[in-house]
Amino acid sequence: MTRPLRFALAQGNMLKDELAALADCGHDVSAVTSDERRLLVRSGGFEFVRARPSDIATYVERGAADIGIVGKDVLMESGARVLELVDLKFGACRFVVAAPRDAVARSLDEYRHLGSLEVATKYPSVAERHFRRRGIAVEIVKVAGSTELAPQVGLADWIVDLVATGATLAANDLAIVEEIAPSTARLVANASAYHQRRMEMAPIVERLARWAASR
Amino acid sequence: MPAPPRGFRDILPTEARELRAIERALTETFTAYGYMPLEPPMVEHTAGDSILAGDRLIQFLDRDGSLVALRPDITTAVARLVAQRYTDATGALRLSYFAPVFREEPAMLGAEREFSQAGVELVGPSGALADAEALALLAESLARAGLRDETIEIGHIGVVRALFDDLADDARELVMRELRDGDHVGAFRRAREGGMTDAALMRARSALAARGMRDIETLGLAGIDELREVIELARRMFGGEWGTPNLALIPALPYYTGIVFEALHPDVGFPIAAGGRYDLLLAAFGASRPATGFAINVPRLHLALYASGWRPGGERTLVALAAGEPRTTARLAARLRGAGLAVAIGAVAEPAGQRVLEASVVDGTRVKLPDGRTLDVDALAKELGP
Repeated sequence: MTRPLRFALAQGNMLKDELAALADCGHDVSAVTSDERRLLVRSGGFEFVRARPSDIATYVERGAADIGIVGKDVLMESGARVLELVDLKFGACRFVVAAPRDAVARSLDEYRHLGSLEVATKYPSVAERHFRRRGIAVEIVKVAGSTELAPQVGLADWIVDLVATGATLAANDLAIVEEIAPSTARLVANASAYHQRRMEMAPIVERLARWAASR
Repeated sequence: MPAPPRGFRDILPTEARELRAIERALTETFTAYGYMPLEPPMVEHTAGDSILAGDRLIQFLDRDGSLVALRPDITTAVARLVAQRYTDATGALRLSYFAPVFREEPAMLGAEREFSQAGVELVGPSGALADAEALALLAESLARAGLRDETIEIGHIGVVRALFDDLADDARELVMRELRDGDHVGAFRRAREGGMTDAALMRARSALAARGMRDIETLGLAGIDELREVIELARRMFGGEWGTPNLALIPALPYYTGIVFEALHPDVGFPIAAGGRYDLLLAAFGASRPATGFAINVPRLHLALYASGWRPGGERTLVALAAGEPRTTARLAARLRGAGLAVAIGAVAEPAGQRVLEASVVDGTRVKLPDGRTLDVDALAKELGP
């Protein structure tokens, strides 16, 4: 076991917070910066992998990375089996169901007549699970972006989306119908690696847990 | 010509020979511990209490309209079979298998829907000696198959459950479910919501982070004596300092009740084998009996063996006998086989990684080798013999 621990970091919005948390815990992350072009860099005793958030769950689940930071939203959508060890509290957002502000009543009426709603989302697993639990029949329309547009052009009645402040929803005349689940960044680990390399991992987990608790 | 359906594949001779070598090593070890082979059917009625969610089963309708599934594991079939066929058995029932199982496996290597499991079930005895037997048999089976560098992690579901004893029953079950899903964040949130004190939460957190007997013993938890006893006994059955106590080892399957264990390998991101005590499963089939056992995921074991440079040993050389006069060739081939050699007549299209010696027919008792030597049957047998 000579390979250093491989730490997967989600690129994008959260990278700054991820690096700050690691730096606060005494890890040297100077070689990992957002304008670094290499995707695999060694720094401070880790081998860091930067990848799309949705791939991090896959890397860690399959053991290609030992440990990583990724949003709970990504874990919920992917269903990846990883160990969720610490709630790091940054990257807060929530999955919501939203509908055109003036059309919630109309769409519920439509549901009574037609028995089904069309729901546009980038997160089909989360959306499907939610509506199945609520016993509402929906047709999921998978889109790759700009979900807020869907009700305005008649692609769907409602949307399921991830919101941080809700400003984009408001700007597009959408109102939150209900909240599905909150999400924050999680420290995750591959279970086999967490068991076999506990001596190395336990201090990292403990420091990050203490860091998160102090915020 | 269509390929096999998604998730099913041909296992070609090179791989099949290696799998046979693994099967031989495992089943011989099972036999050495007194386990008898068992072959449950490939198809079972879909039960409401299957170990897997319905969408992970490969199901279809039988002609009478009943829903049946290709077996997703062997343990459930054994539980059914023991409840039906061994209702009056009083002693220990030791059963073993090496058989394919069928699942929709999202994270399986190459998304295979069919793979072999090798395992044992020990039904009847409870207590440390029985738990140690299952554990030692797993360690010895993997060692005899040639595995190196694996760790065997040993946990205890009863000890973990007791960490959350302050909670009401339903809150504790929610916590256990989160832990089985690997979600420690969710488990501790539910424990806090259920009213667990900060001190108790801290203690549970430390217990789930501890690995190794020294770390775990400092926590002074109830039930640790049993864990220590089982590991000590298992090491006496199969020598060495193997086996690491680890309370964070909490398998996904809900039917485990006591000692649980997994075999892990640094080159494989998933457990190679998993097992433990599952006293509740047989009760679900109406025959409440203590039981323990394990299942080895054969493709993952093969992967770990291959990654560490293992190749099947003790293989014979195949003599490829270039055909001469047909009657003489037939007689010579029979004599060579009679002397214990493996002989194929004609060129070999698929040696499957086996050593091949080309030879041609001289007469009914002699062959000529590529190096120009002419040997009789006994001399060749001696040259290629062990």
